[in-house]
Amino acid sequence: MSQRAYISQRIDIHVDLWQRFRAGDSAALGQLAHVHYRALYNYATRFTSDSDFIRDSIQELYLDLWERRSYLSETAFVKSYLLKALRHKLIKESIRLKRFQEPQSAFFDPENTDPSIETNIIEDENVRYQNGRLKQIITLLSKRQQEIIYLRFYQNLDNEDIAQVMGLGRQSVSNLLYRTLKEIKGIWIPVEFFWGMMLLVNL
Amino acid sequence: MTNYRTHSVEELATDDMFRRWVMDPTPEISNFWKQWNKENPDRSGTVGQARELVLAVKDIYADELCEEKLQFEIDEITRLAEKHKQSTQPKVFYWSALWKSAAVVLMVSGLALLYFTSRSPEKPSELAVQTTDQPLSMQVRINNSKKEMTVLLSDNSVATLSSGSRITYPKTFDSRERRVYLTGEAFFDVTKNSKQPFLVYTNETVTKVLGTSFRVKAFDGDNTVLVVVKTGRVSVYPKKEYETALDPAGLTAGVVLNPNQQAVFLRNENRLEKGVVSQPELLSESVVQKDQIFDDKPVTEVFQDLEKVYGIVIVFNSEILANCAINAQFNDENLRQRMNAICQAIGASYDMVDGQIVINSKGCI
Repeated sequence: MSQRAYISQRIDIHVDLWQRFRAGDSAALGQLAHVHYRALYNYATRFTSDSDFIRDSIQELYLDLWERRSYLSETAFVKSYLLKALRHKLIKESIRLKRFQEPQSAFFDPENTDPSIETNIIEDENVRYQNGRLKQIITLLSKRQQEIIYLRFYQNLDNEDIAQVMGLGRQSVSNLLYRTLKEIKGIWIPVEFFWGMMLLVNL
Repeated sequence: MTNYRTHSVEELATDDMFRRWVMDPTPEISNFWKQWNKENPDRSGTVGQARELVLAVKDIYADELCEEKLQFEIDEITRLAEKHKQSTQPKVFYWSALWKSAAVVLMVSGLALLYFTSRSPEKPSELAVQTTDQPLSMQVRINNSKKEMTVLLSDNSVATLSSGSRITYPKTFDSRERRVYLTGEAFFDVTKNSKQPFLVYTNETVTKVLGTSFRVKAFDGDNTVLVVVKTGRVSVYPKKEYETALDPAGLTAGVVLNPNQQAVFLRNENRLEKGVVSQPELLSESVVQKDQIFDDKPVTEVFQDLEKVYGIVIVFNSEILANCAINAQFNDENLRQRMNAICQAIGASYDMVDGQIVINSKGCI
């Protein structure tokens, strides 16, 4: 699997690429679509496991942009804008197609406010003694906390972008992120010397 | 150069250079971090945690998108964009004022003709005769205009009748099955109802569906009948076989079509041939793209707009709907999709009664 998606870089849309897009060059659209396709695809898998549905939705998203190309600003190709638009589209389409009748555990449920991680952890006391426990800690977070961790450390968005995508205020994002990280750290016992060794071996 | 010594776990885990090293290192990046770790052994705990964080998140949220699939999707987007461009350019010309006025004239004459024909007492067509043994009151619509005609059926299904085509259907469907007769060409968007199959009869074929969208093309002069499927599953049978089979399960001569597949019935050979749709433009409800953009528009105006675009009647109470407004943009959506989206947005429902759409709503706050 390619690693490209996991590394976010500030991608400047080149002026000539942008102009070619505006002028109706479909290859330019392809290049623009390529930049964030992986990130969008991955984000959509958080809402549904139907890959055909995901591909159709992303395709529509880009074709919508294409149709409106003469009215667009470059913002329309910024990652957070695209993620937000896709999120909106997925939810809208799901309602229309009544997809929510088949709930997915993978869903980030924006309405859900779960009990704190402590409550979940108590139910699974073994977690702290197992290998790869950070992974387990994260999967025990509330859906909202998981989404913020996902956007921050998978999509590598900053707080402002996260606020945009999740439709929250900036302050709420930084509070939620702070609280989540604090909770994680409270449970996740660092084994520093062990890591020192691992790093030297890995290199 | 960034001073990584003061970086927290979180800062490291979101640093591009650090992430590259963890997930997709180049030799230079690898060397840099190797050196840095040697020089800053006291930071190894932070580095280790940041590393674990990045890897854990990557692992949890991994997806299955491979490079080939990605490239395929990009190519597809490019291809469709190119196609859109081609199909939108001539549209400007197509909708010239001249054409518009011609269309109006044709529609008016079409409607007049329809009025006349549906009133006329003699219906000597073969299809009409077939329907007489049924107690259902049958409606006939004939499209003599050059434009498509939208026909609303009592189960909320929509037929888009092409020019020079005729459809016969009951005012209300029988409880066992929904049967319509077609001569010519129509696109059907059928409401799902697994208990009541929807059947399209042409002279030589029977197309059976439970809920889906598809097109049937069966002009009398052609020596083929064509069925193309947009969504859902469709069964197509030679009519002779369908009618003589006592047990529907024993039907073997039919073909089952999935989306983007087509069946061609060869009249001369009395045989069905299955394949991939050869003319993708047949998969849309209408040959004319009916773009609509509603920006915070009162829903009563939206309905009036739809009435015009589809040539249909929508019955609603404008006082009750006075406070309802919507934002929507429609391009390729068909009539039913548009109605569903609008009614969803204002918390209303609709029925198709006597060839009209009737809106049921308690209003908006």
